[in-house]
Amino acid sequence: MSASSRRRTPRERRPPGEHEAKGGLAFRDGDEDRNRDEHSGGDSGGGGAGKGAAGSVSSAADASRVTWRKLTLLPVVLIVLLFATWLWFTQADLDALSENALSDGQVTKALRQHVVLTVISTFFVLIIAIPLGILLTRPALRRAAPAAMAFANMGQATPAIGLLALLVIWLGIGRRAALIGMIAYAVLPVLSNTIAGLRANDPTLLEAARGIGMSPPGVLARVELPLAVPLILAGVRTALVLNVGTATLATFGGGGGLGVLITTGITSQRMPVLVLGSILTVALALLVDWLASLAELLLRPRGLEAGA
Amino acid sequence: MNFWEYLGNRHQQLLIDTYQHASVVFQCMVAATVIGVLIGVATYRSDWAGSMATTATSTLLTIPSLAMIGLLIPIVGLGVPPTVIALTLYGLLPIVRNSIVGLRGVDPALVDAATGIGMSRVARLARVELPLAWPPILTGIRVSTQMLMGIAAIAAYASGPGLGNLIFRGIASLGSSNALNQVLAGTLLIILLALLFDAGYVLIGRLTISRGIRA
Repeated sequence: MSASSRRRTPRERRPPGEHEAKGGLAFRDGDEDRNRDEHSGGDSGGGGAGKGAAGSVSSAADASRVTWRKLTLLPVVLIVLLFATWLWFTQADLDALSENALSDGQVTKALRQHVVLTVISTFFVLIIAIPLGILLTRPALRRAAPAAMAFANMGQATPAIGLLALLVIWLGIGRRAALIGMIAYAVLPVLSNTIAGLRANDPTLLEAARGIGMSPPGVLARVELPLAVPLILAGVRTALVLNVGTATLATFGGGGGLGVLITTGITSQRMPVLVLGSILTVALALLVDWLASLAELLLRPRGLEAGA
Repeated sequence: MNFWEYLGNRHQQLLIDTYQHASVVFQCMVAATVIGVLIGVATYRSDWAGSMATTATSTLLTIPSLAMIGLLIPIVGLGVPPTVIALTLYGLLPIVRNSIVGLRGVDPALVDAATGIGMSRVARLARVELPLAWPPILTGIRVSTQMLMGIAAIAAYASGPGLGNLIFRGIASLGSSNALNQVLAGTLLIILLALLFDAGYVLIGRLTISRGIRA
């Protein structure tokens, strides 16, 4: 990673007047290539920021164009996908076992459980990870950050299914174990995103804020957090997408969700059930990601737009 | 039976599962690295193709792995094929993204200089651009491997090979005395493998990152 941060130096050698734009570019890039920061963040402490800057080589004007095109493209793809599935389903002949697995609104129930699991776990992930991220970047606790990140990296190596299974054995079958597993699994990427976001802030801006007499909480609330909003939003999106994914595993802990359809399909060898469960999961994941990217575009502070 | 007795009694089975897990992840990573870097090389020059590749790969990444495996089963059946396809697909994503980022991050002046001393397009790519882009690509490989360790565990549900089988056997026999041992052994061995692979990549980084750009 140290080698990669060396690679940024050409970009940092900018004309003196362009310093504000640098922050804007890096942020923009961070939310365009949404999952990059999640993964690089998991890899090593400052990795997210380093690669975000390296990535801003691609032109920033291009970034927003692509995002908007994607925003209109995806719903069309989703509608076509779901319509095709529906058409296929009206044709498919279901035997008793498949009928049984899909009747009585079980599909709607699984879908609702999945959404509820995702929403609840995302909520807890955010109220745990973001304050923790802020705490770990304060001067008093900054020294604890590397240790926390090392711990976080160890945690990332833990397979989601193993974590979930251990929790189920410990807490018993049910939604609680599934939820705790999902939360524990998604906290780490969001935490490293938040830390990387707050660290990437241009120190001269913080200096300026302190210079005009802002108190430390003032600097945090009125300068640091607004500047880090794009990366925090990227963290929200990461959490949502991860949680939609791990919610499919909740079925192994008796937590319900769309994973029920998939596992029923696999164990009973009923392809219609399996395909329906999988397609609904894919559609939900893409839809959630789309909504989150929409939120990113709409909630981005106006001040950062000017830089790009 | 406590955990240590369990490890002692089953060490042969555990070793086989561990070996299979490591082997499937390793082979899929090699495939993913080759394909990913090729895609990166093919697309990084054009803005449009590069962003297409990045968008396509990150869209794929949002698909939950269990759903991906679920969609593959009707096409290729159970067992090793869906595991290998899913692992290679997921492994591609960070590598494609990082090779595009890495290749685009190469200082144009250096590429110019390489052209200036008469290097061909292929030589430029092989001797200047790829070595300079290698550190981010290696980071992508590390990230991919860590992700694949977990996905390979899930693929065991579709009768795939590896340590996931222990975890699922544990889940299936919840309440039995061995459930905890099985799940714990599976999970810890996966973490251990992930850390070993990671250490391996650090070593590979030491050996292969060009001396000129090493920090």
